[in-house]
Amino acid sequence: MTDSLKQLCLLNGISGREDDVRKYIVDKLESFTDCSYRVDALGNVIVEKKGKKTPEKRIMIDAHMDEVGLIVTHITDDGFIRFSSVGGIETGILLGKRVAVNSLNGVIGVKPIHLLDKENAKKISDEKELYIDIGAETKADAEKYVRPGDSVYFVSEFYEFGDGLIKAKAIDDRLGCALLLDLLEKESEYDFVATFSTQEEIGTRGASVLVSQVRPDYAIVLETTTACDLDGIDESKKVCKLGNGPVVSFMDRGTIYDRDLYNKAFEVASENNIPIQTKSLVAGGNNASAIHQSFGGVKTLAISVACRYLHSPSCVISSKDIKPTYELLNKMIGCLCND
Amino acid sequence: MSSTQNVAEILLNLAKDISISGNEKSFTDKIKSYFANEEMNCDALNSLRVQTYGTGKFKFLLDAHIDQIGLIVTDITENGFIKVASIGGVDSRILSSCDVLIKSRGKDYKGVVSSIPPHLSERKEGTASEVSDLLIDIGLSKTEAEKVVRRGDVVAFNYPFEKLINEKVVSASLDNKVGVTVLIRVYQILKEMKADADVTFVFSSQEELGLRGAKCASFNQDADEAIVVDVSFSTAPDVNNVDGKDMGKGPLICVSPIIDKKISDNMISVSEEKQIPYQIEVCSKSTGTNADVVSVSNYGIKTGLVSVPIRNMHTFSEVVSLEDIELSAKLIAEYILKKVKEHD
Repeated sequence: MTDSLKQLCLLNGISGREDDVRKYIVDKLESFTDCSYRVDALGNVIVEKKGKKTPEKRIMIDAHMDEVGLIVTHITDDGFIRFSSVGGIETGILLGKRVAVNSLNGVIGVKPIHLLDKENAKKISDEKELYIDIGAETKADAEKYVRPGDSVYFVSEFYEFGDGLIKAKAIDDRLGCALLLDLLEKESEYDFVATFSTQEEIGTRGASVLVSQVRPDYAIVLETTTACDLDGIDESKKVCKLGNGPVVSFMDRGTIYDRDLYNKAFEVASENNIPIQTKSLVAGGNNASAIHQSFGGVKTLAISVACRYLHSPSCVISSKDIKPTYELLNKMIGCLCND
Repeated sequence: MSSTQNVAEILLNLAKDISISGNEKSFTDKIKSYFANEEMNCDALNSLRVQTYGTGKFKFLLDAHIDQIGLIVTDITENGFIKVASIGGVDSRILSSCDVLIKSRGKDYKGVVSSIPPHLSERKEGTASEVSDLLIDIGLSKTEAEKVVRRGDVVAFNYPFEKLINEKVVSASLDNKVGVTVLIRVYQILKEMKADADVTFVFSSQEELGLRGAKCASFNQDADEAIVVDVSFSTAPDVNNVDGKDMGKGPLICVSPIIDKKISDNMISVSEEKQIPYQIEVCSKSTGTNADVVSVSNYGIKTGLVSVPIRNMHTFSEVVSLEDIELSAKLIAEYILKKVKEHD
């Protein structure tokens, strides 16, 4: 699992440019038994998994393939690259960070602290004032390698540290993709549909066309969600905690989750001794937002893994949360199929 | 091997080591390996001096500081996060979600500096946290963290050395591993030219804490002239040509009231004679480099300053042109050679 997560995180794919991630997934699917898939107009991969039984209810499980990143908007006369963020990135995490543009190394420039007066020494510049340096000396020089519209990715080493923690870029939502691939690889008790969706980070756009194609009775969204379990943060603002098991939320900024499904998840977790937690704050959002209100409405549940420093080049999760998340997902499928 | 390839190899080799101010000792061993068979010694503050001999008629002191900025562990929190303070002028704007290494008793522990999303944070949006408010996540409980990390351990940025296009590279700690590389290249060039010169190469510690190492290392040194090598600001979209000079257009020769005017003028002449591109950097008072203290050590030493322009100074992504490094070394070597000939 850690291996496939590593491979997936190191792949690059901002919203609308998920090609490499999709290729990885499709290659895997080709080797799996009982799976048939197709790719829709927006690049979503829709997989029909054949199980031992065909249940009455149709279950759809979704994970998104895209990650947050940047897009080239302009090249300056002296060969620096201006950009916009794709997805919600806090400008403060960009300063000085390493990036890749068309497999060239680059760095987001920072005005030296020595040249700033006291008032500006703590000020984070606007994104539009930032620039990427690839070492080009003129506009023409840079244009040999880069065009407006090209994607820019964080360069961040994947590593394990501390007591079972994992650090990487794009854990949101390659972890969901890895879990879903794991589920598809194994023999399944029941038929279900898996969707690897596009453009989540720019407004759950890929997922918004899935329900009309899949027509599920229930949907489960596999995600990562912000954990702020640090010292000095109010207990309620910690949202959720690493190592405390899968996160099932009752409400976020895009969805008020089906109460019966929410309760069911806690029951199933309790019956199977799976740790489970909820979010202590109504914050964030995910593909559930698009899915639950599509095509007349779908009862939807989100199962997430707590992730620190989400949407940064250094997302951190606990590997201890992966197994219980998988178990809860597996049990919930069985439970919903028999509903 | 092309000269920039040689420079790249030296710089990469040096950049692999972490030498945060006050913790430079192991790094001096690496520098020593470039000066096999020369006379050398370390002083009480762990600055390294390497001596080469010529006729004894004109003696040089070349200085480059070997320390880099970083953080130091001050506390371990209830939940096992690490609290830190700055060593040197750390830019707190760049720390959010950056990768770090904690060095403790011969071992390295990987970590990430915390970042708190704006909607969960108390701080004003668009403002960086104070260093004292940051937490380093090493993924351990307080009990486990206390077993491996001690107060006083140093914390370094953990980002690799990478190549950009046009013979440029990006790395942490180019300030001042660039200067150290220049001194090593000066030594190599003088060797290649078979020029015997009286040069004391000073690799000084603790510059980032207020030029402390150079103050002690240049004490009681019998030098006719000193040349300090450091990095300076390159122009960039947010650094104009008053605050910075251009990258890739040669070394910066400093002109300043504290810098010996003749040395500046002679360096300019040498550059022109030898067709080495150069730029003039003007400092109206002190230079913020070791030149400020070397020039007033002992009975005073006539001092010059050569700087290599870098971008993103004091971040983990400093950018430099390899050609500028080589040209800086060439300029200094030619200058020494000229002086030696004059006094022959």
